[in-house]
Amino acid sequence: MEWDWDFVWKIMPTLIEGVKITIIATLLGSVLSTVVGLAIALLRRSPTRLISMPVSFAAEFIRGTPLLVQLYFIFYVLPDFGILLPPLVAGVIGLGLHYGTYTAEVYRAGIDNVPRGQWEAAKACNLTGGQTWTHVILPQAIPPMIPALANYFIAMFKETPLLSVITVLELMNQAKSVANSYYRYVEPMTLVGAFFLTISLLSVFGLRWLEKRYGRIER
Amino acid sequence: MKTIGWIAAAGLAAAALVQSANAADLEQLKEQGFARVAIANEPPYTAVGADGKVSGAAPDIAREVFKRLGVPEIVASVSEYGAMIPGLQARRFDAVTAGLFMKPERCAAVSYSEPILCDAEAFLVKKGNPMGFKSFKDIADNADAKIGAPGGGTEEKLALEAGVPRNRVIVVPDGQSGLKMLQDGRIDVYSLPVLSLNDLKKKSGDDGIEVMAPVEGAPVYCDGTAFRKQDTALRDAYDKVLAEMKESGEFAKIIEPYGFSAAAAMSTSREKLCKG
Repeated sequence: MEWDWDFVWKIMPTLIEGVKITIIATLLGSVLSTVVGLAIALLRRSPTRLISMPVSFAAEFIRGTPLLVQLYFIFYVLPDFGILLPPLVAGVIGLGLHYGTYTAEVYRAGIDNVPRGQWEAAKACNLTGGQTWTHVILPQAIPPMIPALANYFIAMFKETPLLSVITVLELMNQAKSVANSYYRYVEPMTLVGAFFLTISLLSVFGLRWLEKRYGRIER
Repeated sequence: MKTIGWIAAAGLAAAALVQSANAADLEQLKEQGFARVAIANEPPYTAVGADGKVSGAAPDIAREVFKRLGVPEIVASVSEYGAMIPGLQARRFDAVTAGLFMKPERCAAVSYSEPILCDAEAFLVKKGNPMGFKSFKDIADNADAKIGAPGGGTEEKLALEAGVPRNRVIVVPDGQSGLKMLQDGRIDVYSLPVLSLNDLKKKSGDDGIEVMAPVEGAPVYCDGTAFRKQDTALRDAYDKVLAEMKESGEFAKIIEPYGFSAAAAMSTSREKLCKG
């Protein structure tokens, strides 16, 4: 068995189709997890225990179960309850919810890091709860979290091959189907690794930039 | 990219060295006392019971043949169809006994035994076959139709060859998932051999689905036990025992309770089937 460049070029277009889906799933998953994470973080701080308790429980539940199990549940079990989602949508929801519970912790740390004096000052200025959040707390809390959030997005990107089990034709699934047709694993799997590495490395450069830009806060 | 190629090449060279040191032959299998085979858990071809016991027509034949060759046991591992030939080449298995139908490109990649299990292709569809599928071509012509097939299986290839675009051929991991996806309406048709779908339908107990068989234009296929390309000596020994069993009627005794026809397997040959 040897490395065959002609074969590489032949399968490249198929794999690039897969890369596109992988990137789309990651981007949509990131957006969803950002929103879900913020919602969880805020609701967990709610003074009403009737809200904070169930949300905490749900978040811990999702965080404590494997993504693979959740994907099977969303894709194969939910239809029994009348919810039939297309594979990619199911995958994005799975990624978004799962990683949302992680990002919620990032938000929590970010919010806790805003000095107490800021809350008191907001109160002293007679700002409402909503104004305090949108004008005082979140603008100070979010920038330092960006690098940590981005870190989770890279982790999520590397988890997208799990979507192949719910028939999403992402990079890993495309590579498998190529391997299935030509009985060769060397080139497709090496290329999958190379694609992931390239995109991860680029993202790491982006991450470094984000850290420089937002990571440090002047106090 | 070039460097990656070199690293991969270096890794392969190392792997090749390791491999050449353990060529599988009958003596070696006898010594270790078992042969490793790949199966698919697709009754009645191959089945793994709830207690982990391996049965099905293909492993039953292999177990008996290997026993007569002096290898007392087979150790089966469940694998995707597409991973079987690469796994065989990578020496994860000594043989594939899974209803892997003989097709010219597979014959080029492995050494098949003489035919063992023959079956035609079928479609599992909603009751009354609402989209009226008779052949893979019908599925290609209907722009809304989605077909489920095992990844790397014969059905996936037939669908793609008939012109169904890749995004309408859904790779289904196993029979149970295929059934569920059909019931949920994720796919419109699920294709497997006739006996597999009959078994699946029976187990599901669902009256809302039916088996459309045989598929027009898809010939009857036969599988054989697949060995590595270079292991022809082992294959020839296997063929000899298999021929004896066919002669004595023991072959029919094993496969016919599963619904397979021994006459169909005996009326054809590897040479004919590999020509396509």
